[in-house]
Amino acid sequence: MATYANIFDFLGLRDWCDESKTKSLLSLRQLKGDDLAWWEVPFPSLDNLHKACAAIPQTRDLTAWLEDGFLAIRPALRFVLDPLTQPLSWALDSALSLFTTLPWWCLVPLILLGTLLSSKSWKISTFVAISFVFFLFTDHYGYAIQTLSIIFVCTVLCTLFGVPIGILMSKNNNARRMIIPILDMLQTLPTFVYLIPLIFLFKITEPKLYGLAIILYSIVPVIRLTDLGIRLVDRDVIEAADAYGMTSRQKLLNVEIPLALPNIMAGVNQTIMMSLAMVVIASLVSAPGLGTLVLDGINNLRLGVGFVAGFGIVLLAIILDRVSKAALARVDESRKI
Amino acid sequence: MKKFMTGLGAVALATTIGASNANADCGDVSIGAMGWASGESITAVATFVLEVGYGCNVSVVPTDTIPAVTSLAENGQPDIVPEVWRNSAQAYGGLEDAGKVITASDVFQNGGEEGWWIPTWLADKHPELKTIDGILANPDKVGGRFHNCPVGWGCRIVNDNLKVVHQLEANGVEVFDHGSGANLGASIASAFADNEPWFGYYWGPTAVLGKYKMTKVDIGAVDAAQHAVNQQADADPAKIGVSGFPSAPVLNAITADLASREPDVAAFIKNMSFPNDVISTMLAWKEENNASADEAAAWVLTNHTDMIMSWVSDDAKKKLSERL
Repeated sequence: MATYANIFDFLGLRDWCDESKTKSLLSLRQLKGDDLAWWEVPFPSLDNLHKACAAIPQTRDLTAWLEDGFLAIRPALRFVLDPLTQPLSWALDSALSLFTTLPWWCLVPLILLGTLLSSKSWKISTFVAISFVFFLFTDHYGYAIQTLSIIFVCTVLCTLFGVPIGILMSKNNNARRMIIPILDMLQTLPTFVYLIPLIFLFKITEPKLYGLAIILYSIVPVIRLTDLGIRLVDRDVIEAADAYGMTSRQKLLNVEIPLALPNIMAGVNQTIMMSLAMVVIASLVSAPGLGTLVLDGINNLRLGVGFVAGFGIVLLAIILDRVSKAALARVDESRKI
Repeated sequence: MKKFMTGLGAVALATTIGASNANADCGDVSIGAMGWASGESITAVATFVLEVGYGCNVSVVPTDTIPAVTSLAENGQPDIVPEVWRNSAQAYGGLEDAGKVITASDVFQNGGEEGWWIPTWLADKHPELKTIDGILANPDKVGGRFHNCPVGWGCRIVNDNLKVVHQLEANGVEVFDHGSGANLGASIASAFADNEPWFGYYWGPTAVLGKYKMTKVDIGAVDAAQHAVNQQADADPAKIGVSGFPSAPVLNAITADLASREPDVAAFIKNMSFPNDVISTMLAWKEENNASADEAAAWVLTNHTDMIMSWVSDDAKKKLSERL
C-alpha cells in the first residue's frame, strides 16, 4: 500500500489527501499484519488508492451514489410508471379472483372444452383431464389455477405488446438495432438484479411487481420470432402482393402476418413456457401458486412437498406446451390447404 | 505414466504433511458464513481468531440457514455454523438428537428478539399504536396491513395462529404473506423511504432493525407454554392464545466430528457468545460507516479485545495479543 502513498507524496498531493475527513477503515488483513510481497503489488483500484489517499472515493461510495441517485429519481419514475402499470395489477387481481372463485366443476370442463377446441385432439384432452384430476385429488388444484391465471394474464399481455414490437422490428432496421440489445439484456440479466429496483419502484404488496418480472423475462421470444417470421416471408410472395397493388397495410395483414403465423405461434409457445419458469421464481416476491409450495419444500427441507409441487409444475408445463403446439400444428395444417 | 502418478501422489502427500506441520496444533476447519450482516461479521471474527490464535487453516463457506443445516445433515460440513436461528431451521432439532451436531453456545447472550413492529416515528406520532389493541382499533393508521413471514419459517406458523387470536382480518388488518426474507426487509426499507406506516413481523439483531428505528408492539405478555402451542402448525384452534414472542434461540453449532478432532477450537466456539448490545452497536457502526463485514469484524476485535480474549485458550491469547 505504501507504494501508492509515496506517489501521492511525490506529487505533492498529501495536503489535499488529508483534507478529506473520511478515514480508511481497518481491515482484517491489516490487523493480521500480512505484509505484501513485492510481486503482490495491488492494482491501483479505487479502494487501494483510497487507503493511500483518503480524498479518493472508495468503490462502496460509487455504489452508494448509484443507490442515492436511484432513490432521488424514484419519485419521478414512480409518478410515470405507477399509473401506466396499474392495469397490470387490476388484470392479475381480477384474473386470480375470477379463476379461484369459479367452482371446479365449472372451470375444469371449460378448460377441457377449450383444450379440445384448440387442439382438436382427444389424446391431449384426455391427458389434460387426467392431470386436473391429479391436481384435484392431491389438493393442488387451487395452487395450479393460481399459477395458470398468472401465466394466462402475462402471456396475453406479452402477445399484445410483443407482436407489434416484432412487426416494428421487422419493418425498421433502426428500431431493430436498438431493440435487440435490450432483448439480449432482458434474457441474460439475472432476475434478482431487476427485481430489486422493481421492489423499490412499486409497492411490494402489489401483484404488478411479479407481473412485470414475468413479462420482462418472457416477452423476448414472441418479439424475436415475430420479427424473424415476417422477415422470412418469401420475397416472391411479397412481389406478387406488390404486383396486385396492395397497400403496405394490406400486405402486412393479409400476406405477411398469416405467413408468419407459425413462427409467431412458436414464439407464443416459448413465451408461455418462460412465464411458467418465471412464475415459480416470482414466488420469492410473493406470487401465489405452485411456486410457494416449492419454496415451502425448500425452506423446510420437506422433500415430498417440493417434489409433488415440482411434479405439478412439470404437468402444467406439458399441458401448456402440448396444447399450444397442437394449436400451432393446426395453423400449419390450415395453411397447406 | 504410473511412475509419474506415484510421484505426483508423493508430492501431494509431502505437501499435506508440510502444511499440517506448519499448523501442528490445528488442521483444516470449515466455517459457514450466513448471508446477512451480523452472520458475516461474526464469521469474520471467528475466522480471525482461528487463523491467528489457533493457527487453523480456515475455509469460509458462504451459506444460509437452510442450506447450512441441510449440509450439516447430509455431509457433516461445514464444521462450524455460527448464528443458526433455530426457529427458522426445523430440521436442526433432529440433527441435534441424532448427535450429528452440538449446540456450542448462544451467539447472542440474550437471544434473538422477535416481534411485531411499527416504525418509531409512527409510534411517537400515535402512541396508542404501541399495543395490539390500539392497532386493531385504528387499522388505517398502520396502513391496514400486517406483513407476515415467508412460508416455511417458524415465525409464519406463530403469526398465522396469532392472527386468528387477535382477529387481525376481522378488524380490518389485511395479512400479506411475503415470499422471502429479502422481500420482507425491502418492504420496511420502501415504507421508510416513503414515510408510510408499516406493521409486521421482524427480528433482531439485524441490519434492518439497526438501520431503521422500529418500536415493538405489545402483543401480550410472554407465556412460554402458550407460545409453544402457538408454534404448532396444526394447533387446536381452541388452545391457541395470546402470548408475546420469548427470546429466540440463536446458536453456534459445531459438528460432533470437530468436537473430537479439534477440542481447543470447540472450546473457543463454546465460549463465543456476544452481548446483544455489542452486536447492535457493531451493526449500527457498520451501517454508519458503510463498512464491509471484514471491517466490522476488525472493529469488534479492536474495540472489544477483552471480550475476545476471555473466550480463547492461554496459548491463543498469547498469539492474539501480538496483533490486537
